[in-house]
Amino acid sequence: MLLIHCPYCDETLPEAEFTYAGEAHIVRPLDPSAQTDEQWETFMFIRRNPKGPHYERWRHLHGCARYFNAVRDTVTDKFLTTYKAGEPRPDLESLK
Amino acid sequence: MTRVPGKGRVDLSQPVEFTFDGKTFRGGKGDTVASALLANGVHLMGRSFKYHRPRGPVAAGSEEPNALIGTRRGPGRYEPNTRATVQEIWQGLQTNSQNKYPSLKFDIGAVNDAAYMMFSAGFYYKTFMWPKNFWHKVYEPFIRAAAGLGVSPTEEDPDTYASRNLHCDVLIVGAGPAGIAAAKAAAGQRVVLVDENAEAGGTLLSEPQAVIDGVPAWDWLASELAALKAAGVKVMTRTTAIAYYHQNMVGLCERLTDHLPTLPADTPRERLWRVRAKQVILAQGALEKPLVFNGNDRPGVMLAGSAQTYLNRYGVLVGKMPVVVTSHDSAWYAAFDLQKAGAKVQAIVDLRGTVRDDLLAEAKLLGIPVKLSHTVTATSGRLRIRSVRVNPTSPGKVGARVEIACDALLMSGGWTPSLHLFSHTQGKLTWDAGRTTFLPAATPEDCVIVGASAGAWGIEAALRAGAAAFGGTAPTVEHDRTGSGVSQVELPTDLNAGRAKAFVDYQNDVTAKDLRLAVREGMSSIEHVKRYTTNGMATDQGKLSNINGLNIAADALNRRQPEVGLTTFRPPYTPTSFGAFAGYHRGTHFEVTRKTQIDSWAAENGAVFEPVGQWRRAWYFPKTGETMDAAVLRECRSVRAGVGIFDASTLGKIEVVGPDATEFMNRMYTNPWAGLKPGRCRYGLLLGEDGYIRDDGVIGRMSQDRFHVTTTTGGAARVLNMMEDYLQTEWPDLNVWLTSVTEQWSTIALNGPHAAKLLAPLVEGVDLTDEAFPHMSCVECTVAGMPARLFRVSFTGEIGFEVNVPAPMGRALWEVLWKAGQQYGITAYGTETMHVLRAEKGYIIVGQDTDGTVTPHDAGMSWAIGAKKPDFVGKRGMARPDLVAKGRKQLVGLLTEDRSRLEEGAQIVFDPDQPIPMKMVGHVTSSYLSDAVGQPIALALVEGGHDRMGQTVHIPMPDRTIAAKITGAVFVDPENARLKL
Amino acid sequence: MNKAVSSFVPGVLATSTAATVSLAAPMGRLSLRARGDLSALDAALGMTLPTRIGQRNAGAICLGPDEWMLHADDIVPIVAACAAIYEGHPHSLTDVSGREITLLIEGPRAAELLTLGCARDIDSIPVGEGRRTVCDGATVILWRDAPDRFRMDVWHSFAPHLLHLFETGCRELAAEAA
Repeated sequence: MLLIHCPYCDETLPEAEFTYAGEAHIVRPLDPSAQTDEQWETFMFIRRNPKGPHYERWRHLHGCARYFNAVRDTVTDKFLTTYKAGEPRPDLESLK
Repeated sequence: MTRVPGKGRVDLSQPVEFTFDGKTFRGGKGDTVASALLANGVHLMGRSFKYHRPRGPVAAGSEEPNALIGTRRGPGRYEPNTRATVQEIWQGLQTNSQNKYPSLKFDIGAVNDAAYMMFSAGFYYKTFMWPKNFWHKVYEPFIRAAAGLGVSPTEEDPDTYASRNLHCDVLIVGAGPAGIAAAKAAAGQRVVLVDENAEAGGTLLSEPQAVIDGVPAWDWLASELAALKAAGVKVMTRTTAIAYYHQNMVGLCERLTDHLPTLPADTPRERLWRVRAKQVILAQGALEKPLVFNGNDRPGVMLAGSAQTYLNRYGVLVGKMPVVVTSHDSAWYAAFDLQKAGAKVQAIVDLRGTVRDDLLAEAKLLGIPVKLSHTVTATSGRLRIRSVRVNPTSPGKVGARVEIACDALLMSGGWTPSLHLFSHTQGKLTWDAGRTTFLPAATPEDCVIVGASAGAWGIEAALRAGAAAFGGTAPTVEHDRTGSGVSQVELPTDLNAGRAKAFVDYQNDVTAKDLRLAVREGMSSIEHVKRYTTNGMATDQGKLSNINGLNIAADALNRRQPEVGLTTFRPPYTPTSFGAFAGYHRGTHFEVTRKTQIDSWAAENGAVFEPVGQWRRAWYFPKTGETMDAAVLRECRSVRAGVGIFDASTLGKIEVVGPDATEFMNRMYTNPWAGLKPGRCRYGLLLGEDGYIRDDGVIGRMSQDRFHVTTTTGGAARVLNMMEDYLQTEWPDLNVWLTSVTEQWSTIALNGPHAAKLLAPLVEGVDLTDEAFPHMSCVECTVAGMPARLFRVSFTGEIGFEVNVPAPMGRALWEVLWKAGQQYGITAYGTETMHVLRAEKGYIIVGQDTDGTVTPHDAGMSWAIGAKKPDFVGKRGMARPDLVAKGRKQLVGLLTEDRSRLEEGAQIVFDPDQPIPMKMVGHVTSSYLSDAVGQPIALALVEGGHDRMGQTVHIPMPDRTIAAKITGAVFVDPENARLKL
Repeated sequence: MNKAVSSFVPGVLATSTAATVSLAAPMGRLSLRARGDLSALDAALGMTLPTRIGQRNAGAICLGPDEWMLHADDIVPIVAACAAIYEGHPHSLTDVSGREITLLIEGPRAAELLTLGCARDIDSIPVGEGRRTVCDGATVILWRDAPDRFRMDVWHSFAPHLLHLFETGCRELAAEAA
């Protein structure tokens, strides 16, 4: 059971209040119909699945209900940071 | 009796009687089953798992591998595999030994012991390979009958279990000297101090000789505990820290009633605590290592430190003429304590050639014979040790034996820090070659490990380490006992090592020979050795065996221990009941059961219910003696001929409000929304980005900027989640908000030719005619005096209305409609009839007729696509090559030639005569008896189905193959004439 | 079996020496969603909407960056006042009076009773504030009115489940003290 810092509530709370929502920073193309099959395949299905720091989305479902982003180390399960949706991807070097 | 007057903490003035295998024994308040049986001279407490060898307790705590018993407290309250060393006695407790037939003293299964050569490491893999069909018929039944620990209870557990969350600043695991010192130093914060024993104190309970700050240990302990409680420290005994999870979450299992003669009311048997601590102090102490020699499992062979505990804590002398065999100083103190308590210690046998002078002097003073550079090579005695075979050793040689008669053999191979919870944190261990043990190194958690579990031996060292964790100072200790030792593998022997029964894992009957065999057969990692031999895989999780197993495997591999590796420690630390994990979640509280406001009416009127997601819904309403089929046919007929009433409250409802509501709807749903006028509604189809159907429902435009969206019952939360995701992360610029109103409204559906007639007199301000309020209209109005959102929609093909009123008014409205409907023969119907009526019209149920791989085109719903819209969720996905390819499975109707009802889920083939395995081309998704059609109908997904109208397909079943004709999916009123008034 | 939803009557539902759980009388409840400049809404509501999540003012609690729950005896004037400013200051105001009920949880061990179902630290909710959280599988809004007095808003269909837990908990906590 992780503790997760919600960047909207500014509180660190039990994982039970949150839901996971997949890899972060995958932007839906503005005009999907203009996408080639390969581009669409990449958008839909290709994920990094890294061993180590992972940019991912969480939702504070049972709290403020906001989606936000996080960097979590998939080896240690430690959150390196969390940040609001729409904010730029933090540089990994700055998190160490 | 072997109780020593004046010794121990057991209160013999409060006698407690209990039974073991039907015989009554007496102990005192504070005894465990093991200490009380030992006090009665009983060492034999069980039979081993594989060889059925007689066994007695080897330890005095939760690490005990041998003395597993069943405990009973009346009907239903039976628990197998309880450690006799942990179970406290209470008046009337019934216990029994396990793994024996017909009796503990004479056990037929012990023939396995004579045939032990057959059961060596990996015997399962080798022995039961052939003949192949023997596995099911011979080997497996035999193994299942012969193996296993204890017998599972068969009755329902009448006890209750609980759970709680607890947040604290400091959690201290282990209330020995280190833990108590830490708690004292941390006092003032929110401190929780837990210990798995019945009383706090740890080592102090077994070492009363120590004097702390000038006060005898037990007096010091009592005053410290009182002071801690006064300072607000939460001290919890009988509470085991079973697991250490991320970010300092520790699971505790508190045992509340297993030690009580009568069960208090409203008290759970166990409580699982989920503790979240800012800081965790691990002070779990150390476990003594057994020595590995031939016959080291005979009843009466015991860890020296445990014998000391039985004497000093329980006042029990485990033997009157014990022998001590050791390679560590600590066992010498056990010998001294026993000797002083009246035992005649026959010898201290030490593997080492030199021993501290003060120990030798004390032994001499007490008159205990000492044999340095000696080994133990065998023991004798059938149900209790009778003698021990001792030989002198010199480098590479074992000399001539002597037999020493004894009634107990106390052994010590040194001490292993208890690192289980530390390892749960992914804490790194370092190998201390000098002490031949792993010690804790770094952990990612905010956790400090102190005392013996960090390798600090002795009470003073423990107190110092505990206090230092919070910058406190520690008291001084007199008569502290510290020491060192030399680690051993199997003890040297002059006998054939290949025939030795030198046990490493008592509970799984793994011997040193098994471990060496595993290495010879190619297992080179400790994880492989463990699985091949099952060393450390029993319920004690290798507390006594892992380190000896590793040392022996490393020796066999001729490698250093860290290169061979340590097996992973996994939660729980000790066996934990399923009840504790389930907590409150059993019976009716197993999970949330959501009910509508109308559920109570349905229950009162004989409904049979079915679960739909978290909801329970009325399935059908049988009249007395009516079968389900008959009830559903009647309900269907009544709706099509008269009027039916249905509780649709569980449908998901989402209020979509804002200036960009239409744009948002356009982007989410396949259908176009711009042209939908306020007061009108439309069927909406929701896809995933992959182009497959996710959900559907009727959506009403209540006003320019306000939509009343309905979803499927099971999809309500999922759809809202999906919408919020797009809104928050893809289209944050849209000025629109979503609110779940599923439970704001009770929704009652009226369907049938009489629906409008029934409803019209109750509706204020709306003329329920085709002209004023045509099919697919919606309006806010008053129904039976209640504020309502009224929809004219149909999921049956009949004239239909859905009345939404504020949820708490639902039952009142239902009763008004029920009363008003009597003149039209109103019939309450459930979800099954709803399913039949919609199937007759070819309306899909998402999740039944679709399975996450069905496109709108596959479902025959191309009409629902707003083809002119530039984009909506799923539009691009629908154009993926595989989704536009020929031969996709498409939704069709099926009518069986023999008019039988198909089974939902049945597979479909084109050619029934093809060889097996046949090519399956689809499956039946829905199948019902149909009153309206006059024969059973089915919906099915069939390859290229839309182009196969009129063709025959075949459904092979176990007893026969059923032929069916492909039809359109609409069986009733394809022109929708019945929707008009 | 858990009680039927429609059988709840305002009043005491479960009680012991440790804690008492009762059902609050029905009240008006509005879900308000808005963003940007809130001054027009503040004016319409006649109060200042709290802007830190968990903060309260009058009957309003801030649940998210653009979300409030309003409790009021009479919602009609609020709905009218907000409707009047909708054109200039679009927002979403939705009546959820029928969606949920409020449990009053009070007594010497009320906070501990909540730990049976809530994973978050109850002590971290200051008196006079509130939080949306999860209790034994149900999303709830927890209002802390005093150290030992709480209100819990929960959707109807989850209420019997929570009540069952609290009934058990009231007895359990009382037995513990005995």
